[in-house]
Amino acid sequence: MTSPSFSLQPPRLAVWLVNLFTVPDNAEAIMGDLLEEFSQIAHQAGVVFAQRWYWRQALKTIVHLIGTAYRAAPWWTSAGVAGGMLAHRLLWRLVEPTIFAVLVRYQIPEHHFNVYVFFASTGIDIGFLIVFLFEGCIAAIVAKEREMAAATTLSLIYAALCGTAVVSWVVQGHFALSRLTWDFADTFAILIGGAIVRTQRSARHLSGNENLPNT
Amino acid sequence: MAGRDYLGEFEHIVVLALLRLEERAYGVTVRQEIELRTHREVSIGAVYATLDRLETKGYVKSYRGDPTPERGGRSKRFFRVTAKGVTAVNRTQRALQSMSEGLGLIENYS
Repeated sequence: MTSPSFSLQPPRLAVWLVNLFTVPDNAEAIMGDLLEEFSQIAHQAGVVFAQRWYWRQALKTIVHLIGTAYRAAPWWTSAGVAGGMLAHRLLWRLVEPTIFAVLVRYQIPEHHFNVYVFFASTGIDIGFLIVFLFEGCIAAIVAKEREMAAATTLSLIYAALCGTAVVSWVVQGHFALSRLTWDFADTFAILIGGAIVRTQRSARHLSGNENLPNT
Repeated sequence: MAGRDYLGEFEHIVVLALLRLEERAYGVTVRQEIELRTHREVSIGAVYATLDRLETKGYVKSYRGDPTPERGGRSKRFFRVTAKGVTAVNRTQRALQSMSEGLGLIENYS
């Protein structure tokens, strides 16, 4: 029978986020420390208080881990950001020509006009979303063990650019909520790209450790 | 100055916590010791960021303990201060004392 203290679980999303940002060498110690203290606090002050405490620790820890990435591996982390930007620069120009080339190749405008309209508008936005996802993946691949630090930086850069664009639209009276939604989805896609690479690497790291011979 | 480094404020606090805790120094106890004595909320990320930096400088060493069930089967990472770390903390302590000597900080500014 498991003791009640071991059945208490911290917020899953917070656990997942901390795990994403922690380098594999520190992951076991940091996750273990957070879980141990969470159990202590839950018993002393209640689960709700402990969950709030866990979230606070998780968010502060993530900020520190991003800072640590730039101190411990400044070149690789910065190279990840630069690699992501380069990938964006190379790929984003291809989205529209590629979609229109495919539409024309299969004579979609002549036979399925509604489909053509969808791909010429929403399809292009989806294409850009995929480019941003790919950009996050490239940043994470280049940044080695600091995948999420590079992806977060890149995402923050685009979020700042989106913010500036929003201010400019509002000033010019061209505010469009749908455009804004797509732009912020793009910045979120960078993070998802980083998270995909990180999750794959963590799984490989874990399976690698499991395959190590017992000493 | 190469080889004559002083500890930063938080590094100083972390090394002092390690010296206080001796064999019991790992993430949770270090974080709690700092909170208890300084009354400031510290994140586990800040503690590890500093400990990693101190380890790179050769001021602390770490070793893994056994996995425990209350940590979900994860092991603890224990830390201890090296001789170089003790020298650095003494040097920093002496510098601070020398700078504050004669100022009567507690009497005049509290």
